[in-house]
Amino acid sequence: MPGPISGKVSIVGIGQSEFGRFLPDSQLGLGAKALRAALADAGLERSDIDGLSLHMGWPLGADYDRIAEVYGLEVDYVHQAWTHGRFVTSTLQHAAMAIATGMAQVVACITAICFTRERQILGGPGDHEGMREQGATHGENPVFGLTSPAAGAAFAMQRYMADYGVTSAELAAVPVALRRHALLNPHALMKTPLTLEAHQASRMIVDPLRLFDCSLVTDGAVVVLLASADRARDLRQRPVQIAGMQGIRSGRSEFIFAPPNLGINQQPVARVTPRERDMAVYRMAGIDRAAIQGFYTYDAFSPLVLFALERFGFCGPGEAARWVQDGRIGPGGDLPVNTSGGLLSEAHVCGWNSIAEMVRQLRGEAGSRQIPSASCLQWGTCWGDSVILRC
Amino acid sequence: MMDPSHPTAKPLPRITSDNGPFWEACRRHELLLPWCDACERSHWPPGPVCPFCFGVRTAWRSASGRGRISSWVVVHKEWLPAFRDDLPYNAVQVELEEGVRLTGNVVGVPNEALRVGLPVEVVFDDVTETATLPRFRPTDAAV
Repeated sequence: MPGPISGKVSIVGIGQSEFGRFLPDSQLGLGAKALRAALADAGLERSDIDGLSLHMGWPLGADYDRIAEVYGLEVDYVHQAWTHGRFVTSTLQHAAMAIATGMAQVVACITAICFTRERQILGGPGDHEGMREQGATHGENPVFGLTSPAAGAAFAMQRYMADYGVTSAELAAVPVALRRHALLNPHALMKTPLTLEAHQASRMIVDPLRLFDCSLVTDGAVVVLLASADRARDLRQRPVQIAGMQGIRSGRSEFIFAPPNLGINQQPVARVTPRERDMAVYRMAGIDRAAIQGFYTYDAFSPLVLFALERFGFCGPGEAARWVQDGRIGPGGDLPVNTSGGLLSEAHVCGWNSIAEMVRQLRGEAGSRQIPSASCLQWGTCWGDSVILRC
Repeated sequence: MMDPSHPTAKPLPRITSDNGPFWEACRRHELLLPWCDACERSHWPPGPVCPFCFGVRTAWRSASGRGRISSWVVVHKEWLPAFRDDLPYNAVQVELEEGVRLTGNVVGVPNEALRVGLPVEVVFDDVTETATLPRFRPTDAAV
């Protein structure tokens, strides 16, 4: 059932800074480059922006009011999610809902991050997240030496391997495929092929996750501009429609880095994917899953790709590790995943590099990695949120 | 909490009004879990209400301390300098007989012997004069 947003809101511009490590620009410097690029892409002026939906902020950087002050924006709508990968969809949702309800006309979704200068915060002695009341929610527990989100992904993968007899060598198919995509993307930071052998020889970070199962730690910014479909028709680019959306799933059946009911933290144990309630995004978009030509997901750790594929029913519980073999998610595969290389091989821009890539694909601007006749792509994470984009 | 005057010290539990009785009991080498009097069920984490019935009649009860490893990891990367000398060290989630899962470390067994399903029981480690951590060791039946 199409909702009040489906087809009514479009992505009208994308922009990004350079991606890299230890870049000289400040976080807001990178963000300004991305914002300028997005405005030029859309054919809009800075003064057209009257809403902000931010996927950045304390403790990893600037908040909305400083951003508006520094960039000279005057806005009437603000949503801010902090720099936490899980909030890609909710950032887009707030932008789309603000436009659909008339609270804003043009909303800028901004993420800008200098992860290489914030390493102390990422599980190090400055790990405010883990030390707060109630702690962090990726399985961290600093008292017992667990201070990084990687620990949670490792807990989930270890359990998954035990339950289904999956191996690290099978998991390697994920980073190997994403590296193959990255080699077709001139903006990707990883420039050399990744082999199964190199994956297996790479150092263990937190068993069972090896170096190449963990995302890059990089600096960069992406800006995505949204406007109503009516407004989009008069702008420079071919509009990309938001066809369907669903929010983050949360509750005791969930652990952020696992499929539902895997048995991590307090999750019950049951094989439940795909759940009917997680298929809402297809219903809103008015399509079957089979119409999806490319899948984009939050790949901070390679197991998250497996879990996302299972949640949305591309394969059954415990089947994803085998399903992704033989190039199925790589270039030219049945279901290309994260065609820019993702967080594992392009850059870690909190998932927004993949949103920008979806827009390029739908405009037919993805060069040698173009999905033929791409017209329907899905963003969906292992924690259950999703956005379907169409053109 | 991280002790700001000793940035290289291992972090200690952050005591709140929700979890205080758990940590106080650990100092007495006793494992307590929060239970709902209405549901007759334990839950985790400790909180102001029962997550199953939203009731407020919760109480702390003594737990068996026995369970099985439900998942495990071995940390190889140094995230906290305070744990440098321990590398590589394990961390586990243990599903207790009461049904909840606690996070901790397993002692008394090489990391290579860790597996999902390994029976373990709680032991108490007085890490400072004021803090005691629950850890786990394989039960006699497991070794």
